[in-house]
Amino acid sequence: MKKKKKKAHSSAAVNSKLLRRPIRRFGWLFLLPMAISFLIGFIWPFLQGLFLSFCKFRTTKKWTFVGIDNYLRILDDEQFLYSFIYTAIWTIVSVVLINVIAFAVAYALTQGIKGTNFFRTVFFMPNLIGGIVLGYIWSMIFDGILSYYNTNILEKTEFGFWGLIILMCWQQVGYMMIIYVAGLQAVPEDMIEAAKIDGASGWKTLTRITIPNVMPSITICTFLSLTNGFKLYDQNLALTEGLPGVLDKATGLNTYTTEMIALNISKTFGQSGAFSKGEAQAKAVIFFILVATIGLLQLTSTRKKEVQQ
Amino acid sequence: MKKFFALLLVLVLAVSLAACGGETGKDDGDDAKTGSVYWLNFKPESDAALQEIAKMYTDETGVKVTVVTAASGTYNDTLTAEMDKATPPTLFVVGNDAAVKDWGEFCYDLTDTEIAKELNTDAYQLFDADGKLCSIGYCYECYGIIVNKALLDQAGYSMDDITNFETLKAVAEDIHARANDLGFDAFTSSGMDDSSSWRFTGHLANLEYYYESVDAPDAWKTCPAEIKGTYMDNYKALYDLMVVNSATDRAQLAAGGFDANAEFAEGKAVFYANGNWEWSSLNEKGLKAEDLTMIPYYCGVEGEEKAGLNCGTENYWAVNAEAKEEDIEATLAFMKWLVTDAEASAKAVETFGVMPYKNAAESSNPFLAQANAYASAGNYTMPWVTNFQPNVNEYRKGIVSAMNAYNADPTDANWDAVESAFVAGWASNYAAVNG
Amino acid sequence: MAKTVKKVKAPKGKPKKLWLTILFGLVSVFYMAPIFLVALNSFKKNTFVKTQTFALPNAESWAGFENFKTGMTLGGTFWKSVFYSLVITVLSTFLIIIVTSMAAWYISRVNSFFCKFIYFACVFSMVIPFQMVQFTLARTADTLKLNTPWTIPIIYLGFGAGLAVFMFTGFVKSIPLEIEEAAAIDGCGPLRTYFKVVFPMLMPTVISVSILELMWVWNDYLLPYLVLDRTKGYMTIPIHIQYLKGSYGTVDLGATMALIFMSIIPIIIFYLTCQKHIIKGVAAGAVKG
Repeated sequence: MKKKKKKAHSSAAVNSKLLRRPIRRFGWLFLLPMAISFLIGFIWPFLQGLFLSFCKFRTTKKWTFVGIDNYLRILDDEQFLYSFIYTAIWTIVSVVLINVIAFAVAYALTQGIKGTNFFRTVFFMPNLIGGIVLGYIWSMIFDGILSYYNTNILEKTEFGFWGLIILMCWQQVGYMMIIYVAGLQAVPEDMIEAAKIDGASGWKTLTRITIPNVMPSITICTFLSLTNGFKLYDQNLALTEGLPGVLDKATGLNTYTTEMIALNISKTFGQSGAFSKGEAQAKAVIFFILVATIGLLQLTSTRKKEVQQ
Repeated sequence: MKKFFALLLVLVLAVSLAACGGETGKDDGDDAKTGSVYWLNFKPESDAALQEIAKMYTDETGVKVTVVTAASGTYNDTLTAEMDKATPPTLFVVGNDAAVKDWGEFCYDLTDTEIAKELNTDAYQLFDADGKLCSIGYCYECYGIIVNKALLDQAGYSMDDITNFETLKAVAEDIHARANDLGFDAFTSSGMDDSSSWRFTGHLANLEYYYESVDAPDAWKTCPAEIKGTYMDNYKALYDLMVVNSATDRAQLAAGGFDANAEFAEGKAVFYANGNWEWSSLNEKGLKAEDLTMIPYYCGVEGEEKAGLNCGTENYWAVNAEAKEEDIEATLAFMKWLVTDAEASAKAVETFGVMPYKNAAESSNPFLAQANAYASAGNYTMPWVTNFQPNVNEYRKGIVSAMNAYNADPTDANWDAVESAFVAGWASNYAAVNG
Repeated sequence: MAKTVKKVKAPKGKPKKLWLTILFGLVSVFYMAPIFLVALNSFKKNTFVKTQTFALPNAESWAGFENFKTGMTLGGTFWKSVFYSLVITVLSTFLIIIVTSMAAWYISRVNSFFCKFIYFACVFSMVIPFQMVQFTLARTADTLKLNTPWTIPIIYLGFGAGLAVFMFTGFVKSIPLEIEEAAAIDGCGPLRTYFKVVFPMLMPTVISVSILELMWVWNDYLLPYLVLDRTKGYMTIPIHIQYLKGSYGTVDLGATMALIFMSIIPIIIFYLTCQKHIIKGVAAGAVKG
């Protein structure tokens, strides 16, 4: 990212000729396997996908070029707009909650309480369970609770929203916490001691010394939770599948109030009709551009606040 | 850290050893000349039976038959991905008009093929706009209202007492009123969750479309761009009858989680709206064929005394026109075998209910027998007009949300929303996929 | 910064915060509860999972090992799915670690235009929604015969390389050049320098990346579903679980819970045996990102 800064601050980026030449000769061994599979597994399908977003297609072999028609069709798609806003709101809430909770837990766990290692082990564990499975587990739990009130998670938008937040917190807090713990332990103790001697309050120490020093952790954690949030699919599908739907009386169509963008795209792919697949592909392109922009903006903006050591 | 890495290394070694074993063992021989069959099935429930049938055929003829089942609700996606592959499905499902529009260009013209000549009716054929025979039904089903005659008898009624909506209503309301004394209610629960809502948004809805199509047969030759909703009141009447005269409070229907099949099997209700496929599970749970029958959707339409059951299917075979010549041949031969071979068709009929082919095994399903009885008595059979529903998943979900609101608060205003989901929803969804 | 994380030690002389321990103890119980609920409900009959989610199985709802039986036979043999899942996960992770760490080292040491291009492409690939490439990737994989459990790791390597390269590059940059230069002066070629000197230093990141990739591949559903050659009967555990959903919205919850239980057991065992390294690795590897 910030190449100049890195050069000035760490010896690593300074390239030594002693190393570079012999490594270059082995380029085929070091870089080629990765470059080829990257081409196969990512670049080629991605370019094809990009191209297909300008096509009407049934299968990827049978396409007709239609220009920007697919993109124009998206403009009329209210569900897509709704899903986008919903995803944005949901992601913001989840990023804030996950990071605040993870940071708080990490902060508490670095204060030397008993059983720290045990708690870390426990909190990290849910991170190992996968998306669809997570959705099944939590829909069982939520339905189990809500059945006492004669309702279920599919009945109200709020249930779906907060249910997914709880689910994601459960899954992700542990991972983020580990990263924050590492960041907190890297804060130079003498700085904190010095602040104390200067009579700074606990809160001031936290905001003036600790937080600026764990900025690298914050950067990576927010980046991960942000992109995870925007790309969220499995959990959304397995927990509510976008339900409940709210009916528009004039058109007789539903707006799915917990449907996030990735799910919307995949549902569009599954629809019948000659245009749906091209439209879904175009949605995916827009979605990609959005996530990429937001992710990179976030990275550069928090990177700026990082303290150089 | 070393432990972690060692563990990973050991696993890699173990796996690659196994890999070598696996690699050498997978020599399929050359089936290139004889051709092979790849059936992309869409019902997870019938997967096990189809695998057996495939094995039977391979044992008998040496032709390889592969059955792959798409995960629930992903048939279209799976087909899209599979059709691109080097070995695409040779046999797949094109179950309604919309699917013909989507996949028609991949369909081999079945006109005058041997398998098409085996059909004993022309009811289950789908053509594209140019008149190409794209797909043919491999089985058909019927639905209506399943009746437990034994319980009806206990309540002091016989089948002769039910001939139209008025009489059905009278019987159901009387049973519901005496439910506490009788120990059973009129209708089973009518859950509106995914596992049950299709009984109302798909099946029951058929009466509305069917009677509309009788009024305007020309408009309904293909999927109409819009519908009138002329028979929505009849739909409402029957739906309300089912929901009100049941042990389950209608406000709870949206949450779902009911097991109507179990309620019926345990003798807690006399009437159960569903189809012939329920027979095997009801039979397993101890109900006898002589105690069961199925009646039409009586809904107050003029002349409905002569109504029959709703018969149709969404199980249509299409053969992939882009497959290799020999694979197409092999597939057609396999299809023919499946509907003519005594043992194979018996197995298939056991899974699918009944197959509309001259030489297929007879079905023992009492509900299908009932459907035939109605037909031979001169009653009109109601075909599955419901198969025209545009953008079907979305359309039905729209109806479900409206009906949930209506069940929570059964006012006229809320019923208007249901009508809108039916009528305006049809037009909007039609436009969405055809526009 | 290349050193691993210090062990947590109580700052001297401070009173132990007992109430925090108690609070976290309680939270831990709630944290583990979902996993226990899965185990509990896998022994209940289907209809009772929804109605008595939190109750212990009783005489009426007890299903014994019936759920495990149904789950394991429906949709093919379960052990086959476990085997293929294992093959795919282990091979993919192994491949990703070796190949991307080598590439990352090359990228940060050579730093040519092409390297920068690859690096940025990797960062971009991290934010690509899978839907964007689902059909094109499935087709590419099929054309190149990367559709078996033995070859699909190459697809995983390609699609998942982004995150790995990103993390490895971050870490490699923090390794002082002097060490490698010393090795080079001693006559080590790049290969020996890499495997003898650099790779051991990368260990924390190796673990961190392994965990991320292991979890992703083990739990991934859509990619193997679309890519694997299903006509040969290749399945993974998540695909297997999906087959418990019937075509008319019916789900056998009991059997689903049984399968979920069986699919998370290996992970939990793996985690508990290596948990110290995993947590250290994640901590040390991630800060550098």
